[in-house]
Amino acid sequence: MLSGVQIVCFAASYTVVFALELSRLLFRSGVRGAVMLGFAAAGLLAHTAFLYHQAVLTPRSPLSSERDWYLIAAWLLAVVYLYLAWYYPRQSFGAFLLPLVLALIGAGVLLARNEPFPREPASRVWGMIHGGALLLSTVAVLIGFAAGVMYLWQAARLKRKQLPRPGLRLPSLEWLARANRRSLIVAVLALGVGVAAGVVLGTLRHSGGGAPLPWYDPVVLATLLMLVWLLLAVVLTARGDVSRRGRAVAYLTVVSFVFLAIALGSMLLLDTQHGGREDAPGNRPSGMVDNEFALKPTGITPLDSTEHAVHDPGRSAGEGRA
Amino acid sequence: MIVQVVGCSHHETAIALRERLAFSPEKAAEALDHWRRVFPGVEAVLLSTCNRVELYAATERDAAPDRRQVAGFLGRFQRLDPAEIVETLYQFHHGEAIRHLFTVASSLDSMVVGEPQILAQVKQAYELATEHDNTGPITHAAFQAALKCARRVASETAIHQRRVSIPSVAVADFARQIFERFDDKHTVVLGAGEMAEETIRYLQDEGAHQITVVNRNLDRATDVAERWGGRAVPWELLPEALATSDLIVSTTGAGETIVTAEQFERVERTRHGRPLFILDLAVPRDFDSEIGRRPDVYLYSVDDLRVACEENRRQRDRELPAAMKIIEQETTRFMADLHHRATGPIIRQLRAGWEQPKQEELERLLRRLPDLDDASQEEVRRSFDRLVNKLLHPPLRSLRDESTEGIPTRLMDALRRLFQLRE
Repeated sequence: MLSGVQIVCFAASYTVVFALELSRLLFRSGVRGAVMLGFAAAGLLAHTAFLYHQAVLTPRSPLSSERDWYLIAAWLLAVVYLYLAWYYPRQSFGAFLLPLVLALIGAGVLLARNEPFPREPASRVWGMIHGGALLLSTVAVLIGFAAGVMYLWQAARLKRKQLPRPGLRLPSLEWLARANRRSLIVAVLALGVGVAAGVVLGTLRHSGGGAPLPWYDPVVLATLLMLVWLLLAVVLTARGDVSRRGRAVAYLTVVSFVFLAIALGSMLLLDTQHGGREDAPGNRPSGMVDNEFALKPTGITPLDSTEHAVHDPGRSAGEGRA
Repeated sequence: MIVQVVGCSHHETAIALRERLAFSPEKAAEALDHWRRVFPGVEAVLLSTCNRVELYAATERDAAPDRRQVAGFLGRFQRLDPAEIVETLYQFHHGEAIRHLFTVASSLDSMVVGEPQILAQVKQAYELATEHDNTGPITHAAFQAALKCARRVASETAIHQRRVSIPSVAVADFARQIFERFDDKHTVVLGAGEMAEETIRYLQDEGAHQITVVNRNLDRATDVAERWGGRAVPWELLPEALATSDLIVSTTGAGETIVTAEQFERVERTRHGRPLFILDLAVPRDFDSEIGRRPDVYLYSVDDLRVACEENRRQRDRELPAAMKIIEQETTRFMADLHHRATGPIIRQLRAGWEQPKQEELERLLRRLPDLDDASQEEVRRSFDRLVNKLLHPPLRSLRDESTEGIPTRLMDALRRLFQLRE
């Protein structure tokens, strides 16, 4: 039954919730909140089932491909949205978070590769740490970005002395500033761990006869640039006067998002060897960037194909997951 | 069956009389006990707020205390001449009384429409009457429906979110959008105007308790500070107070600006960028408007808030028809249910009248078919039950339909004659 769950199921649910969120600007309804929660929960359930099916029922582990990575990031962000929608039903978090969820799903489906990252047994743990930490950092930056935009929006309204717009209620500046600061700290810690794990991973691969660490790869450079920026942002926010200035922290989180967008864009659009990519976008094999929305048997067991057995010596030696 | 309300409110009755008629919770409890002795069998709920004193009464009988009797009861209890109050009391019956209750509970009859306290007051009045055994099936149904109606109005319209007084708008629509909590915030009050005190009241409702009053007259500052549990500081310490403040409420009667942009800049250096909410309610203004341009400083003057109040008033007025529609829907539904209750005895007799022949025929049939197993017997019984229910459905449906217009007396008479039911 789980194999019948398609990406379009949860993407459509999130889209409905987003549309309902926007409809708050147009009219009031006594049941909309419950309907939104219902759709969001259904979407998250389908999303979870899809990822579970990918991770457990098929011979793949979580974070095994770029697409997985984007879909898990979207899942985490959807969890955060559902939590906030449940505890703060009057606030319009969805108007800011759901476009990011949908963008991650869209990027995962349309741009990211569905082929597994190359994986050697010795580097598997480090690969998981690397991917997981970068994932957490990405989600933290996205949450910070949403909170930062909400902060700037709310602050601009308060400066203009305007009443809250019906249907668009935002948290207080104090709440948003706290969310901004926390997201920056989580993002820099996770990114630091992710980069360190990436260095270990690259070193292990190199010592095992693989290529040396691609320091000049655009993705690596963009990620390092983002780490430097986040470190700078955290150092700035650690200063009392900046920390108290919510607006300054909001700008820092918005700029952090720009660095994240550059890093992800480099991964998706530029010629990179990061993550096992050895092909430029122009010469990817057909089917690498596909629009398949369904979880097809041929699309979920690429490790079994001859092509991937060549890329993944560990699996060809029978060390893959059962 | 009678449902009625007798009372007075801010609409027609002067505050002097309302104050004399008002009941404290203890006194209301005594009055309810007394009511039960004087008017046994008549349900009652006494609602007493600063804007109204109303006595809701209901009974299954055909007679209830009229306005004069209620005036006499209230007058004797509050040591007032009944003749003095009887003319100021209004009385609504049946649907009008229910509509009035729903309107009051939904805060559409309040002095400040949409103020949230009234719902809690209605609930407390109902609970007090229940504790003292003054409620019954009609008042239970009426007050529970009133609470439901008020919740519908609150969730389906924005009336309750539209505040129209300057202090309430300042706190709810602006201060609360800046600060998440107020218990750790320092409020500085400059001057000691009436509006400042009202603002403090709203801030204290939100949890603010660190209050510093700064006034040129230290005695006056001490007086205000003591009233609100704060502390008073001399005027000379104003810069220090501003440096540690998160909220400033300013209502001095000074003829010139008391905090210029330059003075504020000096204070700002010691504030380390902490957000500041300034409510300048003074005319002329106490704070230079340039201060509002500083980052993380949110400065509001009386005019700014007045514009917001007007906008709220307009938006609230736009919501009123939707709120009244909800009240009409709920009143119609409640009255239909109430009228339908009056048909209860007829329905019971009708059911009993059909039940007896059904049972007799069923037993006769089962005696003639002794070979039927238990399952088949059960199926036959269910079939007879379904038949009776189907035959009863049209008259019961007609009774319910007719109940929307009032107690269906003529239809009830017709059913009595048709099926030879007892009165």
